[in-house]
Order: sequence, then structure tokens, then C-alpha cells
Amino acid sequence: MKRLSLALSLALLGTAAQAQQSAAPPATVVEIPPLSSPDSGTRGNEMLQIGWDATQLIASDLGQTTELMPLKPKREDYVSFPEVTAPSFGKWRPLGAKILLTGFVQSRSDGRIAIGCYVYDVPKGAELARKGFVLPKSDWRRAAHKCSALAYTAVTGSPGMFDTRIAYVAESGLGDAKVRRIALMDSDGYNHKYLTTGDTIVLKPRLSPKASQLAYVSFAGGKPIVRLLDLGSGQERPLVPTDAISFAPRFSPDGSQIAFSMMLGPNSDIYVVGAGGGMPRRLTTSPAVDTDPSFSPDGTKIVFESDRSGSQQLYVMNANGSGERRISFGAGGYAAPEWSPDGQWIAFTSRGQYGRRIGIVRPDGTDERYLTNGPADESPTWAASSREIMFARLGQGGRSNLYKISLGSGEAQQVTIPQDGSDPDWSGAVD
Amino acid sequence: MRKTLFLLAFAVAASAAQAQILPFLSKRDPAQPVVQGIDALRAEFAAQSGGTTVYYGAGSSILGAPAKTVLTAQAGWIRRHPEVVVRVEGYGDSGDTRDHALAVGARRAEEARDYLVLLGVPAAQVSTTTWGNERSGLGRSVTVLVR
Repeated sequence: MKRLSLALSLALLGTAAQAQQSAAPPATVVEIPPLSSPDSGTRGNEMLQIGWDATQLIASDLGQTTELMPLKPKREDYVSFPEVTAPSFGKWRPLGAKILLTGFVQSRSDGRIAIGCYVYDVPKGAELARKGFVLPKSDWRRAAHKCSALAYTAVTGSPGMFDTRIAYVAESGLGDAKVRRIALMDSDGYNHKYLTTGDTIVLKPRLSPKASQLAYVSFAGGKPIVRLLDLGSGQERPLVPTDAISFAPRFSPDGSQIAFSMMLGPNSDIYVVGAGGGMPRRLTTSPAVDTDPSFSPDGTKIVFESDRSGSQQLYVMNANGSGERRISFGAGGYAAPEWSPDGQWIAFTSRGQYGRRIGIVRPDGTDERYLTNGPADESPTWAASSREIMFARLGQGGRSNLYKISLGSGEAQQVTIPQDGSDPDWSGAVD
Repeated sequence: MRKTLFLLAFAVAASAAQAQILPFLSKRDPAQPVVQGIDALRAEFAAQSGGTTVYYGAGSSILGAPAKTVLTAQAGWIRRHPEVVVRVEGYGDSGDTRDHALAVGARRAEEARDYLVLLGVPAAQVSTTTWGNERSGLGRSVTVLVR
């Protein structure tokens, strides 16, 4: 269907444009008139301003997907409040948009605002979806992200993933004088904050699926120990009540368990423990270095790295530790795997003559490919859409930064953060 | 707890030293000689053990002959100084991925600690940690640190 709408508009553009366009993936064109408001006067102006900001954010969200192509929002496309729920489709059809997204922002007597969104199929003149949110004025971005998700889901059938968080290690300074803090931000860079003070080395923040908890590694006691922080209450505790060295935490997809590495004497093995506490259960018993566990999205399997063969390779086992199976066999090493949220891929850091670079492979070990050329890329983490990967790249002069690359194609893009950064972790959709 | 006991031990040593020079330095902050004491002990440990750091092969945590020689000398010194505690700090290989380096550093530290204990150092006197690749410059080694 979306191919059809694109083909129609291309037919008007002539053969040269068609040749150029046919290489690009087909995208559904979306028209987003500025969000309206039933309010009037000063308050109405304030609501319309929030509406315009939200409109631009929705367009920006959808523009980052490969499936949807928003037309650039224009203030003069303003629709009246009644038109939000009863659009005049005839007005939008000539623009070639297949999808129309309308909405409103309304002030409430309790000081909060209501934001409503409606998604329409323009050729059919039919409503596809609608959703409303009541929230504090300052949280309008969250509602806008959810409107984006509403449109995305209506077109693709997949959950929209725009309201997500990124945790990473913010770095300033160099070498042993480097100050590291766990930082958390919305995936669009807003609401940036630091969660640790920088007086101790911290590593590997890992968000729970809905970003309500955060596990990370702290050297506060002189050695690396996994700690668990509740982002709502701010309460924090060691993940397990021992003084054994522990690292590489990752939540299960339902958030109920955390897999991690723990040292028993000279031996690093993979353990799993309830996010609410309890006794850790040991999953691997090899005398080699087993680390960096990551759950499959259905929670039934865990991919991890082990050097039991002599070099670091990827293994998949059942979530109870049974049925270990090696899935990588290439030269060099395979490390730090993360299973994609759609279950189709495992991203990893490859080690070899070229240095470290980011690769992906199917969970059965086939179809291995490389997304970056290195030489110092590591720690891949998936976007909730499973279409992008964020990773850390060590640049000239020992400074690390975060980059994003799409599976489809293209160059890695640097992520804008206030300082240097490493160890990114991208959450699933919040709520 | 260990650290507290250890500092106490030095407080005793410091007051003994202070007794000799008391007329001249009676108003000096008594904490200072403690710091000097640690540094002096560390220097003595390094000089008499042939170094504080021992090295491993790439990706390996097996102790070679040179490493064992240094650790043997270290064990002798530590046994003569039951009042100190030492910490063995392990490092990974540069170029290792972060978590692998942490595990390798921890393993190297454990191997060195086990060797010290094998040579008669009380286990309670030796703790271990790993820096992986989180501190620069020492790669593929452990450093035994008097604390």
C-alpha cells in the first residue's frame, strides 16, 4: 500500500527522479498540520506554542524512521479545533500524503494539559487511531513522542519507539585523571542528568526495559561491584550481598532478572539474580572468562562471550544455563554481544588486525556482517526499533564519543552529548 | 577493619619515632608521619622484592619464571611484616574489550595472590582487585600494593 502511494507521486516526477528515488526504501508520506487548541486568549497562545513545538518534534521523530516520511510542518497549515476530529480530507489529498496526523493541546483547570492525537488514512478518509494524554505542561515532549508512536504503529503495525532513554558514562578529562559519571537522557538528548557524582570510576550502565531501574558497575569499594539504582526513589544497593568482583549486568526483557558476571576465585562466570534480590544462580561453569550476557527478547535464551576456545567467541545458551552452543567461528575475537529487541540479530564488538569494530550476526551464527570499520569501536546497544545501533568510538587523543548507525546503510553519526561518553545503553519504550 | 588496624599499627610506629624528636616537633600534626610511614614501607617493599609489578603474556594469567621470582621475594617481605596488608591489583591487555579486561585483570590478581598464599603469606593479609583497562599504562600485569 505504501509502495503504491510513493509510486503514484513518483509518476508525476518523471523518469530521472524515479531512477534516483527507486533505490531508496519506500516510505509513507505523512502530513502533520500544527496541533490545534480549543483555548483562546493568552492561554490559547501558550497552548498553540506547545502544539507547534510538539508538531515539530513529531515530524522529527517520524523523519528518523525509514518507513514514514513526514512533510515539513508549516504554520500556515493550521487547522481549527473541530477539524482535528473531522478533517476535510479533500484539502490534504492533493499534497500526496497518505497519512494525516492531527491533534490538540488543551489547558486544564488542575494546571496540567491534555494532548490528543488522531491518525487518518487520507485516501480512504478514515480514522486509523487516536490517543489522549493528560500530563504536566513540562512533559509535553513525552506526549509528542507517543503521538509519533501512534502514527508509526498505525502504518507499520510495529510498536513505536520514540519515548526511550539512553544511559551512558559521561567522561571528562583524560587518562587516569578522567572523571566518569553515569548520565541519563531522553533518546533525543533532552532531560540530561547525572546519576553519580564522579568521585569513583563507574562503568556499564544498563537500564531496565522501561527505564525504571539502572544497574551499573562502581569501583567505590576499591573493586568493581554491580550496583542497582531505583530511578524513581533514588535508592541504591549492591546487586548481590557479597564482596566478590562483579560486572557486566543486563536486565531480562521483563525486567524481573539481571544476568551478570561474577568472579569466584580466578574464574569469571555468568550468574542471574532477581531484580528484587535473592540468591544468585550460576549459569556457566567453564574455567574460562565467560562474560557480557544478553537475553533474547523472549527471555528464553542468553548470548554471552567466552574465551574457552582460546579466543573470545559468542555462545548462546538457554536462560537456565543449559544447551550452550557456539555461534561464532571467525578469526580474531567476538565480544560484548547484545541481542536485538526484535530477536533477529546479535550485535557484537569484533576484535582483529583492524582493531575493534561493530558487527551483527544472526542468532544461529549465519549472515555475519560489519557495520563500522573501526579501529576503536565497541559496546554496541540496540535502539528499541532494532534498526539502529549506538556504540562508543575512541577517537584521536583518547577521547571517547557516542555514535549511532542505521542497519540499512550510511555513515555513523555522532550523538550530541555535553561531554565525552562511553558504554551507551538504549532502553525500550517507556510505558 | 583491616585498614583501621593497619593505621593503628602505624600510629604506634609514628609515636615511637616522634618520641626521639619530640622537643623540636611537639606541635606538628601527628598524622603526617603515618603517610610517610606508608611511603617508606612501600619503597622498602619495592626495593627488597625487585619491584611491585609482575607481567604476564598476552591474554594469559600464567605466572612465568620472572614473575615467580618477584612474587617469592614479595612473599618473604610480607611475611616479615605481619602488620601490613597488601592488595594485588590486576590489569587487562590493552585493546581488550572492557568486561573481558576486567575478568582477565581479576584472574591475574587471583593467580598472584594464590602464589603469595602458597608461599606462606596469610590469606587475610592479601586482597585482590582488578582495574581491567580502566587505568592506563600498566597492561598485562599485577601490582602488589602495600596498604
